[in-house]
Amino acid sequence: MKPEDKERIQVEVVSRVVEDHIKRARTAPTGYLEHLVNDTLYHERLRLEKENPDQPRIKADRAVYRPMRARLRHASPSDLQSMLQTLSRHLVDEVTGHFDPRVYRVATRVVPPGLSLLLNAMSPTRLASLRDLRTTVADHVELGGEIEQVKELSRRGTLIVVPTHSSNLDSILLGYAWHLIGMPPLCYGAGLNLFHNKMLSFFMQNLGAYKVDRKKKAPLYKDILKQYATCSIEMGYHNLFFPGGTRSRSGAVESKLKKGLLGTSVAAYVNNLRSRNPKPDIFIIPTTLSYKLVLEAETLIDDHLKEVGKSRYIIEDDEFSKPRRILDFFRDLIALDGKIGVTFSPALDVFGNRVDGEGNSLDPRGRPVDPRRYVMRDGEPVHDPGRDAQYTRELEPELVDAFHRDSVLMSTNVVGHALFRMLLAHNPGMDLYRLLRTGGASPSFPMADLHRETGRVLEALKTCRTPPRFGDELQGGDVQGIVADALKHFAIYHEQPAAERRGDRVFHEDRRLLLYYGNRLRGYDLGRVLAA
Amino acid sequence: MTDTVSVIGAGSWGTTLAKILGDNGRRVLLWSRDARQCKAINESHVNERYLPGFPLPKRIEATTDLGQACEAGPLILLVVPSHGLRKVAFQMGDFLGGDQMIVHATKGIEIETGKRMSQVIREETCVRKVGVLSGPNLARELAARKPAGTLVASPFDEVFLAAQQALHNAYFRVYAGHDVVGAEVGGAFKNIIAVAAGVADGLELGDNTKALLLTRGLNEMARLGDTMGARVMTFGGMAGIGDLMCTCASTLSRNHQVGERLAAGQRRATIEKEMHMVAEGVKTTKAIHRYSAYKGLDLPIAEAVYQLLYSRRSVKRVIEELMARPAEHEFAELGG
Repeated sequence: MKPEDKERIQVEVVSRVVEDHIKRARTAPTGYLEHLVNDTLYHERLRLEKENPDQPRIKADRAVYRPMRARLRHASPSDLQSMLQTLSRHLVDEVTGHFDPRVYRVATRVVPPGLSLLLNAMSPTRLASLRDLRTTVADHVELGGEIEQVKELSRRGTLIVVPTHSSNLDSILLGYAWHLIGMPPLCYGAGLNLFHNKMLSFFMQNLGAYKVDRKKKAPLYKDILKQYATCSIEMGYHNLFFPGGTRSRSGAVESKLKKGLLGTSVAAYVNNLRSRNPKPDIFIIPTTLSYKLVLEAETLIDDHLKEVGKSRYIIEDDEFSKPRRILDFFRDLIALDGKIGVTFSPALDVFGNRVDGEGNSLDPRGRPVDPRRYVMRDGEPVHDPGRDAQYTRELEPELVDAFHRDSVLMSTNVVGHALFRMLLAHNPGMDLYRLLRTGGASPSFPMADLHRETGRVLEALKTCRTPPRFGDELQGGDVQGIVADALKHFAIYHEQPAAERRGDRVFHEDRRLLLYYGNRLRGYDLGRVLAA
Repeated sequence: MTDTVSVIGAGSWGTTLAKILGDNGRRVLLWSRDARQCKAINESHVNERYLPGFPLPKRIEATTDLGQACEAGPLILLVVPSHGLRKVAFQMGDFLGGDQMIVHATKGIEIETGKRMSQVIREETCVRKVGVLSGPNLARELAARKPAGTLVASPFDEVFLAAQQALHNAYFRVYAGHDVVGAEVGGAFKNIIAVAAGVADGLELGDNTKALLLTRGLNEMARLGDTMGARVMTFGGMAGIGDLMCTCASTLSRNHQVGERLAAGQRRATIEKEMHMVAEGVKTTKAIHRYSAYKGLDLPIAEAVYQLLYSRRSVKRVIEELMARPAEHEFAELGG
């Protein structure tokens, strides 16, 4: 965000949130504002009780909240309004508070080469020159899809990039891919826990990240975050939302999305029309990120299997918090010439209509549509929270479709899926957890069987309703080569290989990982195709 | 609000809905592709072909101009047979905008795709504000202003509010809901059970048999709806049990008549040839057969009706097979 916009956005967010609540208080039962302030202080107190009291951040919070609690009992309506103002200002200040204008000015120049350094896993042999580094990293990030459309639409309106989410590296990689195609930094909210790693924190902040504290449960805080996103979109900052809400624990492509933040796109569009913004259009760019290996695969699949995803919603002790693991990950991936796919799907307007290269909305049969009419009433653009929430819900299937259509499947996904299918077939009726733990009746299968099953899965993928994209190694259909490539990747980086070849047999070593990588194929209705 | 409401489709149900709108003081554009029919309606104020004997309010103007009908006002009722809906919706797409609302009153499923009508409308137009009208509504009874009720379901409150405002009156109660899937599945599936009920009546099997068909039919409807994402409660309302009771009990229902003719030994081809109005149940049966096969759903009554319509199996044999099935827990597969 530009330095001059920092204060502007803070003022705007606070004034909108406060005005909105004062307006609601007029028609709500008595005590609305008192309840709101009290509720915010209550949620914050619960959070602070679990935090380290010596942290400067926590001390600052207490300094704001303590006097308010004392005042609340005898607060007049105007006192309550001023307390709401203070709370909102405090909360928004933390969201934007770590922004450093000086850093921003150099960020666009420093960050990409710095990222190159990071993504090259600090390999000393590659430190010849920055120019070389950039080339090397670019070689490993495979950009695809509607890149030209993205560039063109960025000149005509504001973009909201909505990617699949597998890893905490996603935002960094996407930020880098975004830079590679010549775009300015993306504005996005990242969990506070992601900033614990200082090295990555530096890159994240300077790639446009603002801090989101997921431990803050007060509804007022959520209002602030949504309004922050809305305002930044209206100011023309391209935004990044992860609509899955959190990293896919199972490894599958997202099929259920969280619509909260995405809903800000319609609100921002209405505001743009009402303020006669010369560039009111907002475009949604579904984006898929595809990895041959996933940094946090072991932790994510464990979490999925424990079925306690909710209670461990914020994982603070995964591979992302260990710089050494990140370096190993990139070193190993680059050593095997592994690719990370970033694919931009065709853009949509905020109502889910496709848009052409010039930003015109089109109906499903390609006829032009005037998007303004979706929000018009009696000739004026109006907000209608119920209507707009439904528009956002109707975006979901469009995004899920794009995610499945444009996900790039890798050898590890297809072979992981094939091998896990063989495990299931050889152990009919066995409880999944027991199968994962024991491996079932046989620790290995003939390689020939794996080749055959991989071939079947590949063929089934080609005939399913929404066929995915295939990574380079899958293109030729050389089953032996595909299996060899997957096993090569399974053998590196993870603490235990997912599967290993010994002679003419393949041994399933870490079945959780096979399940995780194979799960990427879920959602393509393969079971039906393979059973036919 | 006194906007013009357009009704696309001048069959018996479309004309009846236009008549209700006209009774409520609305100006109505009633679209039909048949110029002669439009001329006759505008001159005589009666739809002699599809709703004979019921004078229409003079506020109803019949037109063949689809553009005029689509652009006349924010609310459009789409009332064409399921097999023709996609084509009409596509043609309407040339004239529609995102601020408009389409409420369809077509009880069927598209055979080729297994899609519900609201899905077809979404695929052919830019309109998001889509709703469905479904309930125990026999056109001729409503045309005679006999008290009745219906459901308009849409995820957009604005849609059912507009439809309620336009249609609700002293003899027609319009209830509102959000469950479009449930309303559509209920409306479509009851036509299959109505065919079955017609068979039972044709064979004079008695009230016990019909009650058995109805309750097990409702169970199948709920299981199918559950698979498609409907709320099971919807099937206890207007678009579920309400519509089922009405269609199965009434000999006015075209689907019921199809069943009676099957019981008399007629074949589908003959029946379709002799009935000049569409019995939605015939096509819906095929669509549901395909869908349930794809999803691996066990819907025995729907399957029995399919066998009667699309294979050469005898009525006696099909009924024997139905009755020979093992009886499970009554609400198995519905969490019961």
